[in-house]
Parts: sequence; C-alpha cells; structure tokens
Amino acid sequence: MTSLLEVNHLEKTFGTHKVLKDINLQVKPGEVLSIIGSSGSGKSTLLRCINLLEQPTSGAINFHEQNILANNFNVTDYRAKVGMVFQSFNLFNNLDVLQNCTIGQTTVLHRDAAEAKKIALEQLETVGMAPYINAKPAQLSGGQMQRVGIARAVSMSPEVLLFDEPTSALDPEMVDGVLDSMRALAHTGLTMILVTHEMAFARDISDHVVFMDQGVIAEEGTAEQIFENPQEERTKTFLKRYLNRV
Amino acid sequence: MKQHRNFWFFLGTLLLMILAVPAATSHAASGTFKVGMEAGYPPFNWTQNDASNGAVKIQGNSTYANGYDVQMAKKVAKSLNKKLVIVKTEWDGLQPALTSGKLDAIIAGMSPTAQRRKAIDFTDTYYHSKLVIIVRKNSKYAQATSLKDFKNAKLTAQLNTYHYTALNQIKGVIKEPAMKDFSAMRVALESGTIDGYVSEKPEGISVTSANPNVKMIEFKGTNGFKTNPEDTDLAIGLRKNDPDRVKINAALAKISQSERDKIMDNAVNEQPKTNGDSENWFVAILKQYGNMLLKGTGVTLLISMVGTIVGFLIGLLVAIIRTIPVAGNRFRRGLLKVVDWLLSVYIEVFRGTPMIVQAAVLYYGAAQAFGWNMDRLVAALLIVSINTGAYLSEIMRGGIISVNAGQFEAAHALGMTHLQTMTKIILPQAVRNSLPAVTNEFVINIKDTSVLSIISVSELFFTGSTIAGQNFQFFHTYLVICLIYLVLTFTITRILRLVERRLDGPQNYNVMANQNQVSAPTDNN
Repeated sequence: MTSLLEVNHLEKTFGTHKVLKDINLQVKPGEVLSIIGSSGSGKSTLLRCINLLEQPTSGAINFHEQNILANNFNVTDYRAKVGMVFQSFNLFNNLDVLQNCTIGQTTVLHRDAAEAKKIALEQLETVGMAPYINAKPAQLSGGQMQRVGIARAVSMSPEVLLFDEPTSALDPEMVDGVLDSMRALAHTGLTMILVTHEMAFARDISDHVVFMDQGVIAEEGTAEQIFENPQEERTKTFLKRYLNRV
Repeated sequence: MKQHRNFWFFLGTLLLMILAVPAATSHAASGTFKVGMEAGYPPFNWTQNDASNGAVKIQGNSTYANGYDVQMAKKVAKSLNKKLVIVKTEWDGLQPALTSGKLDAIIAGMSPTAQRRKAIDFTDTYYHSKLVIIVRKNSKYAQATSLKDFKNAKLTAQLNTYHYTALNQIKGVIKEPAMKDFSAMRVALESGTIDGYVSEKPEGISVTSANPNVKMIEFKGTNGFKTNPEDTDLAIGLRKNDPDRVKINAALAKISQSERDKIMDNAVNEQPKTNGDSENWFVAILKQYGNMLLKGTGVTLLISMVGTIVGFLIGLLVAIIRTIPVAGNRFRRGLLKVVDWLLSVYIEVFRGTPMIVQAAVLYYGAAQAFGWNMDRLVAALLIVSINTGAYLSEIMRGGIISVNAGQFEAAHALGMTHLQTMTKIILPQAVRNSLPAVTNEFVINIKDTSVLSIISVSELFFTGSTIAGQNFQFFHTYLVICLIYLVLTFTITRILRLVERRLDGPQNYNVMANQNQVSAPTDNN
C-alpha cells in the first residue's frame, strides 16, 4: 500500500542546535504510529514539523505524494486535513465548547452552521462532553478540555490526526478518559500519529512504533518488535526505565 | 498581485484616516464680520444669558456677548454692511485666530503695541484710557496718591499686557507673577495674595461698582504711570493690509467722544454684578447655569466617548498591522517594514507631545498654513481620537501579544489563515484583556478634554470658565465643575466594570438539567 505521509531526510535546526537529523518515516492509511523517546529527543518537533507549526530546515514531507514544503503548496488546506491535539489543549478561550468544535468547520471547511453543529455534537457525545456544550474552557477540568480538544480535531474529518503528548498535562485520574476516547478513534480506522509517554497504551493500540533518541530514529518496528524484543541498547535502557516506573 | 493591491488599498485607507484633516473643513460666508473677544473683560466685553441691552449671540453657544466692544463692533459691522458674528476666544488665542482667518477683527480692549503691529494691523483708536491701580479699601494703599506710595506693595497685572511692564516704573515694588485675566486678579486681591493690580480705568470703574470692598487709585499729572499713547489707546486689530481698514476708520471717525463716553457709561452700568443675595450658592449656580452646565457636560461626554471609540478602532487597526507576521516575499516584507516605521512615527509623535499643543497646531496651525477652516467640535473629536489611537495602539498590541501562543497554533492547526485567526480567536481575547486599559483611557479622556478650551470648544471646563467669568464665584463654580467630572468618571468606571463581568460570564458551569439523558461524564469537577 502506498504511504499517506512520507518524511524524507528531514532536518530541523534551532540556531546551531540540530534537533532532527535525517528523519525518514512512512505512514500508511489507517495506521496508528506512536513516537516514543525521552524528553528532548525531538519527537514533538517532528510532529510539529509534520503540520508545519515548525518550518523544517531541509528535507521533504510528502502528503499523498505531494511535497508540502513546496513554495506553492496550500498550507491551510493541508492543515485542515491534518488535525492536531495539543499537550496543553489550546481550546479557544473566547469560545464555548460547541463553538470550539464548529469554528474550524464553518470558517475553513465552509460547512453550514447546522451541519457543523450536528457533526460537533456527534463528536462531543462520543467523548462524553455533550452535556457541556455551553461551557467556556475556563470552566472545565484538564481531562474535559482534552476530550473537547479531540472532538474539535475530529469534527474537521481529518485524514490524519496528530497527538502531541495529549495526557502529559493531566492529573492521573483524568488520563483514562482521554485514552479511552483515543482508543475508540483508533478503532474507527483513522490514521493517527501519537507522541506519548503512555507506554502501555502505545503498546496496545500502535501498528507501528518509532523510538527516537537525540534527534534520530534509533529503532522502529511493530509494537511487538519494539516493546517485546528491542534490538538497540538505548531502546532497552529507555523501556526499562519506563516500565519500571509504571 | 491582487493581494498587493488590497494591501495598498488598506494602507491608503489607513493613511487617509490619520491624515484626512481637510475633509471636515468649511469656508465661512463673506457676508459676515467675525469679531473675536474674550467675552470676560467687562466693561469692554462680557458674557450674559440673554439678549438684553443689545447683546449679540456668541457663535456656537447659547450665551450672548455685550459691552463697549460689542456695541462698537455693531456700529462697525453696520458700516461695512455685514452681519456681526461674535466669536468667544481666549486672549492668547486672539492673534492666531485672526491671522489664520478664523476672525476678521479683534475688538477686545486690545492696545496697538509695536510688538503686535509686527503681526497684525490696527485701526484708529476706538477708546482711550489710562492706568490705575486697584486695591482693597481696608489696606494701607487705599490712601495712595502717587506711585511712590506703592513701595513694598505686592502688585501684578494681566499677562502679556503693557500693564505688567508698567510695574517697573514703581520703585521698590514687589512684582508678583502676571495673571491670566481680571477675574483671577480680583480673586487674588480679595484673598490677600496681592495688594493690588494695575489695569485701565474701565476695569477700575467696573470692579468698584461690582465689589464694594475695593478701591480704584487714580493718579494726577506726573504722579502716575508714564505711558505710551499707543498703549493706552484701544484699537481694532485687523489682518495685515485688510482692505476694509479705511472703511472701518471712517466709521470710527463718525462716533464722537461724547457718544463713546455714553456707550462706556452704559456698559459699566449694564455689566454683570456679583449677586449679593443669600440664596444657597450651589442652588444658585445650578438654577442660573443649569442648562449651560448640562450642555458642557454633554459636549465633554460626546468628545471623550467618540474619541475613545474611534481611538480604540484606530488603535486596534494599528495593532493588527503591527502584529502581521514578517513573512512572504521581499517586496511584502519591505512594505511591512515601511508601514511599521510610519506607524511608529505616528505613535511617538502623538504620545510624545501634549494634547493641548496638538489641538493648537491642528486648529490654528492648519488654518494658518493651509487655509483649512474646520469646525471646533470636529477638530476636538479628531484630536482626541488620534491621540487616543496612539495610546491604545500600543495597549492593543500588548493585548494581542499577550494572548497565549497556543491559541495561534491551535487556530493554524485547524487550517485558519492569519486573518481568520486574528478575527475569530485572537482579537476577541485581546479586546477583552485590554478593556480595563480602554476604560482607563476613557476616564483620562473625560478629564483631558478640558485642554480643548484652547480652541474654544465649549466643553465642561470651558463652560465653567465662562460661568466663573460672569459670576466671579470661582471657588464655587469650579467646585460644581469638579463634582460633575467626578460623577462622570465614577459612573463610567462602574458601568464598564459591569460590562467586563458580563463578558466573563459565571465562574462555574452547571450541566443543564434538560441534558441529563446524555451519558454522564466520566470525571466530575
């Protein structure tokens, strides 16, 4: 099967610091890809390069075999197809829960208000946030905000959904609700790229796992290969540290 | 290409907004004879509330002017076959107003000094007077007969008049700082901060008739001030080479000395007197000047409100332009840099100079340099708006920058353009965050519109000065004005705070009862 998203020789430099070095990656349609690694390994930067919140220094990213870094590429259209769920939620503070989930649909996808509302309500119900449609973000807990963040991204009917450490800013008792919502999404066949520290969860739902260390992909493979039978020494050390902590 | 054209159009509109001064100008009809005076210098000119004794309505105002100057102006206008228009103007504003074409003549008890003659022309004399000193009746100077008797006396005179320089002829006198007008000197004399002040005889006649506690000291022969006849004569100020000067001189020549004396006698008798009845001063001021105060308050509110709202819009626009991310091709980047520089100049100039100076430059300067003759209220609205815009643009820029970067990222991640991100997400938050600063600016504007009295806008403070100029109750009148300002600012602060609370909504969210059928959330908060 051809790749939906392909990253070739991607490099990213902040000042003199090379954060990403020669990254190569393929994501197939319907695949769930987890990117794991310790803090500062470059995994969040890679994710942010994929939807161009960071501008890569060199290399190529192809989406449906089109280079998204080309000068005449329509970035806003592309971003509409690539959803993002943030570590710190980033719900729009001036809008209520329902508006957060409809604004992208109406302004970017030009769906009419009724249709946008219907889709948003479906997604909010899926994540269990339908009773809160008129609440402002400031009135919600972290777990509730993140579930709205997921509903907002999914309402855009994206082809790929990016998760940037979606549970790292949550209290432990809030994590499960968010993971449940993500697991449900994975079962729908949505293509997902996930940066996470939740190893057990990554092992459960991933088709494909990438371990990053100091800006390079140190090892990649299926979830079984990486978690049950890692080949690289640094992968083993990292997993040992994490699995002991759990 | 289309994008660039839009940008130019946008830039052009902005520049027009800032620079479109002449749009609001108008040209006066030539059939009028516009005469400037303070309307606060009895018996030459004063303000009254009705048209009695042949008073003339003051332009742009519901009050009337009367006095020796007004009666002379009527005769002159008649001889010119023009309609007389009285423009109430502060003393220091008279000459610029004349040279800039806002006035056709100054008839304001003004002497044709050599210095003034450099800037403007004068007609022949329309009144001749001599210098006297006004003292308190119970002071030791009340018996003085010669200038020598004023050794060690604290004396003053009106600012920018030859009365003040004449003080140098008194040996050993203590020269107090010059004062703005007679009203101020009357108060200073009565309060004891000065022992007396130098003025011309008509002021002496009027103050002694209005206030029984003061006395006018006249000097005989060589005991008094040596004066230049040019100083003691009063003449009508005209623009250089005014063709009407010959006609006006001819008209003045027809008014005999006895007729002039009669006009002056009438003026001294008809001028406003301090009322000595025992009615509560507060009630008296409200009763007599209630309408004026209401109008003044209205004008102050109008200017500060429109100024704040328009200034807010200017500030928002400037802030939006200045926060456009620097990206795109070299042409676009260069253009952004130039626009940004122009906007910085605008902000620095209007934040870095006093509003009173801006008002004077715009109103008098524009008229003198370019012949733009704009309405006072329009000029006031323009100045306050542009000035407020300069302050608020930096506040709004701060408001935009202070919105969390995650809000921009989330909007971009949904596929919104910069413009969509700004209008739908960022600006609503930036505006809410800067609302307290805008409230603050509104309150400042309410108070600062008082400096617009320099261009004779009849806002609250100008109204107060007018009233005080009539009733001479300075303390009481300004106390009332002070109270009105306080009520205005206090009320507006409260109202806007209420608006802020409304915008924020309640702190907690209650899941609505009619949505209970929806599956319950897994965590409760």
